[in-house]
Amino acid sequence: MRRRDFLKGTAAGSGWLLTSNSLRTGQQRLLATEARTAAGLSRVEARYYDRLPDREIKCRLCPRFCQLGDKERGFCGVRENQNGKYYTLVYGQVASYNIDPIEKKPLFHFLPGAMAFSLATAGCNVACKFCQNWEISQMRPEQVQSRYLPPEAVAEAAARYNCPIVAYTYSEPVIFYEFMYDTSLETRKKGLRNAVITNGFINPEPLAELIKVVEAIKIDLKAFNQDFYTNYVRGQLKPVLDSIKQIASSKVWLEIVYLVIPTLNDKAEEIRQMARWLKTEIGPDYPLHFSRFQPMYLIKNLPPTPISTLERLRDIALEEGLHYVYLGNVPGHPGENTYCPNCGQVVIERYGYTIKKNSLSGNKCRHCHQIIPGVWS
Amino acid sequence: MEKARVVIIRSERALAANGLPDPSSMLRMFRKGLEILTGSNQAEEALRQLFQPAENIGIKINTIGRRAISTYPEMAVTLGLWLGKTLGHEDKIIIWDRTNEELKEAGYKLSRSVGSLRIMGTDSSGIGYTSQPVINRSVASLFSRIQAELVDSAISLALLKDHGIAGITGGMKNYFGAIHNPNKYHDSNCDPYLADLFEIDLIRKKHRLTILDALRVQYHRGPSYHPQWNEKTNQLIFGFDPVAVDAVGWKLIENLRAKKGLPTLSEERREPTYLQTAENSGLGLAHFDNIEIIEEEV
Repeated sequence: MRRRDFLKGTAAGSGWLLTSNSLRTGQQRLLATEARTAAGLSRVEARYYDRLPDREIKCRLCPRFCQLGDKERGFCGVRENQNGKYYTLVYGQVASYNIDPIEKKPLFHFLPGAMAFSLATAGCNVACKFCQNWEISQMRPEQVQSRYLPPEAVAEAAARYNCPIVAYTYSEPVIFYEFMYDTSLETRKKGLRNAVITNGFINPEPLAELIKVVEAIKIDLKAFNQDFYTNYVRGQLKPVLDSIKQIASSKVWLEIVYLVIPTLNDKAEEIRQMARWLKTEIGPDYPLHFSRFQPMYLIKNLPPTPISTLERLRDIALEEGLHYVYLGNVPGHPGENTYCPNCGQVVIERYGYTIKKNSLSGNKCRHCHQIIPGVWS
Repeated sequence: MEKARVVIIRSERALAANGLPDPSSMLRMFRKGLEILTGSNQAEEALRQLFQPAENIGIKINTIGRRAISTYPEMAVTLGLWLGKTLGHEDKIIIWDRTNEELKEAGYKLSRSVGSLRIMGTDSSGIGYTSQPVINRSVASLFSRIQAELVDSAISLALLKDHGIAGITGGMKNYFGAIHNPNKYHDSNCDPYLADLFEIDLIRKKHRLTILDALRVQYHRGPSYHPQWNEKTNQLIFGFDPVAVDAVGWKLIENLRAKKGLPTLSEERREPTYLQTAENSGLGLAHFDNIEIIEEEV
């Protein structure tokens, strides 16, 4: 099957992977029996929870710490207490999968030009009013069409389609932690790498374990004030900042995206504070992307972010000393390119998700030999 | 201000020897409850005034607790058949909840046959949820197409239970089963989400009657079933005011808790504050000064 056919199949909801002869029939049956219920939900015991008296549980995966009685689900909608035992309902239940350029995530300093086998399940542990994937992220797993792709099948599909990366993305991979973790182990066996596209709303202990099995994490920093997190995200800022620091202190490559929504999180002073915080806490070398907002989901009354606003915020972040500040969702803008912070020359020229020219020599600027941090090969 | 009337009907014969509701007792309780609530001496006439013959009527039940702690089929089906017989169209009555699996596990026999009572989940073939979220204040949800499109009027036939987050779950919270994302609305004791949800026209304008099943009440550690904190009270609670009925249910749970020496819901920091929010939104009356409670034994 050619990539074009694959993408066509994905859009049409094809179940090609289930019928692929790459999955041996016996293996397929065994995995299905282990992990699925009659209703098509998985029933794999969740990690990071405490059992409490009277069949209650307390989830420790994310900072919500949902405490649930029997038959109840967490805020994410995909983890359920069944008689005092906590289960993930989305292990292997893939609601969306595609082959995307890694630049789409966006990760600009991580294997530029590589394709990522990208997948998601239903569910999310926040509720952003501007979510662009709400039709899977804000759903419970039984409300979306899913395909059963166990970790081995994901790794095999990614390898077959020459995707050196598996990306956990679209919804919120924290909520399908167990599936993501196990899949990462499988993909590593095939020499592939793992990228997590997340809101960073996860507790330190599970994040510490995740960091051991993935190579890149992109965090959506939604704003730099708690009010925005309360009113538009229904999450908390501090745990996200803690996650950023924790990842930056590890060997995992980190990039940060900030979706700029007109009038809601575009104040210059706040961006300046954020840039200062990033430089102080994790240094100037992790890329920061300012993304252009488009009206969607529950925020349709605001216009797309003016490009001038994005440019102004980028200038502020550069002024504050961050080395790699990008603009996103503005194809053809010079802010998509990577510039050497030493000589100012373009080292990677992009148009949208396409690499037009890569002037890196190894991990160095071809012009002045400045090291450009990232994972380049 | 006119008081909200809430009627409590009690029957020692409500539950049969097998522990399940006795249909003939249920019917007596329904009839008496409706008569007192409407001031009519003829329950069927009261029903005909409440519902138009051409209306499709939804009976929203709660089956998340499966057979152990759900709206009893013996109760819901009795109500559905009575409505159908009185109004002349049995197949215009829909007993429903979120999923067919939960309904079956709670003891319901699914039915979508022409000419008979319909019993089905939102996940039934061809049903599902509306495609765009309905937004009201803090809430944005897709609605079950049963509530949104198939029914013209609604009865919340809800199980009264203690609830570890909301404080209590009753007739208002029963409508969490009408939306796709109730898991998003359990923060801060479900307040203001419950009131904001009920305020949406698809619920507020269709809701006609609350009947709280308080035959057995889970007064602690709910909404899950824990037999040691589950008490038989043999009561059904009726009201047109959805806030007042739940307020009376709350009082009943507090009384049971006090009798067993348990702390109040306020002391456990889970007072159902959503009732006051609902009153503030004009959805009903939450204060006992403004509620007329009539109790009767059948």
